[in-house]
Amino acid sequence: MKGKIITSQNGLNQAIKGILKSLLEKGLFDAILVPTRVPSGESFVYLLIKDKNLIESCTPLPPIMPIQGARALRELTRLGKTSLKILCVMRPCEVRASVELSKLKQVNLENISFMSIDCPGAFILKDYINDPEKFDKLYQNTLKDWEGENIRPSCNICVRFSHQDTPADIHIGKIGMKENGVIIVPLSTQSNELLSKIDIECTQETTEWQTGIKEKLQKKAENRNKAFSELKGNVSGMENLNNFFSNCINCHNCMRVCPICYCRQCFFDSSDEVRIAAENYFSRAQNKGGIKFPTDMIFFHLGRMSHMGISCIGCGACEDACPMDVPIAQVFEFMADELQKMFNYIPGRDREEQIPVLIYKEDELHEYEDMEDLK
Amino acid sequence: MTEDSLPRIVGFLCKWCSYAGADLAGVSRLKMPASLVPIRVMCSSRVNPLFVLKAFLSGADGILVTGCHPGDCHYQDGNYYTRRRFALTQKIFKELGLEADRIRLSWISASEGKRFVDVVTEFTENLKTMGKNSIKAEIFL
Repeated sequence: MKGKIITSQNGLNQAIKGILKSLLEKGLFDAILVPTRVPSGESFVYLLIKDKNLIESCTPLPPIMPIQGARALRELTRLGKTSLKILCVMRPCEVRASVELSKLKQVNLENISFMSIDCPGAFILKDYINDPEKFDKLYQNTLKDWEGENIRPSCNICVRFSHQDTPADIHIGKIGMKENGVIIVPLSTQSNELLSKIDIECTQETTEWQTGIKEKLQKKAENRNKAFSELKGNVSGMENLNNFFSNCINCHNCMRVCPICYCRQCFFDSSDEVRIAAENYFSRAQNKGGIKFPTDMIFFHLGRMSHMGISCIGCGACEDACPMDVPIAQVFEFMADELQKMFNYIPGRDREEQIPVLIYKEDELHEYEDMEDLK
Repeated sequence: MTEDSLPRIVGFLCKWCSYAGADLAGVSRLKMPASLVPIRVMCSSRVNPLFVLKAFLSGADGILVTGCHPGDCHYQDGNYYTRRRFALTQKIFKELGLEADRIRLSWISASEGKRFVDVVTEFTENLKTMGKNSIKAEIFL
């Protein structure tokens, strides 16, 4: 892997803006989809930029993730492929979610290119909007040390924070680089040619950056194992599981913000689930002595898990959106990890790879069926 | 033994094989415990993981998903998808400590009336030793 190291006195975001500007100027892309701070200054949205003068106002790597980039791209390509060449500037998990959604036919990747950036993690949404200035300052330190106390738990246990398993076209690296160094790494031959058109010849070694990643990866993998083994005890058995989700108010925000939950109407909002005659509830209450309203809270979470667990990219958007601070992303990531291991699958790592539930092998999984003759 | 002490099994039977197998068991006058509530589906791959979850959370003691033998699916490959989906569902049960043995996947062909009886009998015996599904009495779910 080769790259080009540039130095930027004004930080990572400024360096990326420079690259974006020249890509747009040279007409290599028609538009750029990139996070930008809203006028009030308290949050960020995705902006589809056609005017190169607007690039100055964007923030390629914002401190929070209020909107999962895959959702923005899904909206953009809802009616099929774009005729414009678009470059999406995203965190690695957002790129993976976009690719996963393309397999589910919710995103069309034709004419879409991705630029991913080494991700230090994002702050908890609620913390940030309460005091954006304080967290903007903290973020500068986070970008230096590549870790911080206020980073979301999902980000602390993320092991794909750089180019690992991320099918982007261009990657911007920062981990392990000296003070002002930023490394530009083309991940495909086309993007190599593309970069040479804006006079970025990628011929330098990337060892410094890769060593940095390795160190961070080790630490994060440790965090991950620790978090999962702690979690496993907390959610084992119906009683624990029920306690884990006991604060849930059935708002279904976790489903609505999930990039993978694309169904226009979720089963749990459908008439099959919602329009139930009172008599039905009475008979359930009679069987148990009583039932809780709103009903089916555990059913919702387990049902969602069984539907999207295999494709969960672990972005943590669900946890950010939870008004009751249920640590939902962690249990979903834990389960997703287990499910994906069964099929040696990593969602979104490859544009061509099929989702395991859409394919099969004739000779597999015999431990889950009873094939042999019974006694 | 009274009927109350029998476990309740919700069975999803594929129309082309297992349901016909169950029918054959009846026509052949084979005896089996009256523990199964059969639900006919057009293919075992019609069984959404939600069906299994809903039955389990509603207090069914066992959930049985049955279909044609691999390779014999009326729709060529439906039961291969069933197997993957079922494996994922059972994995979730296992990892969450939710008595994964209460759900079971079996292949029963239209000519295997005897096998149908054996599967239901064995599953019923297993469930008897496991006892009632405690979720049945759980109010706060």
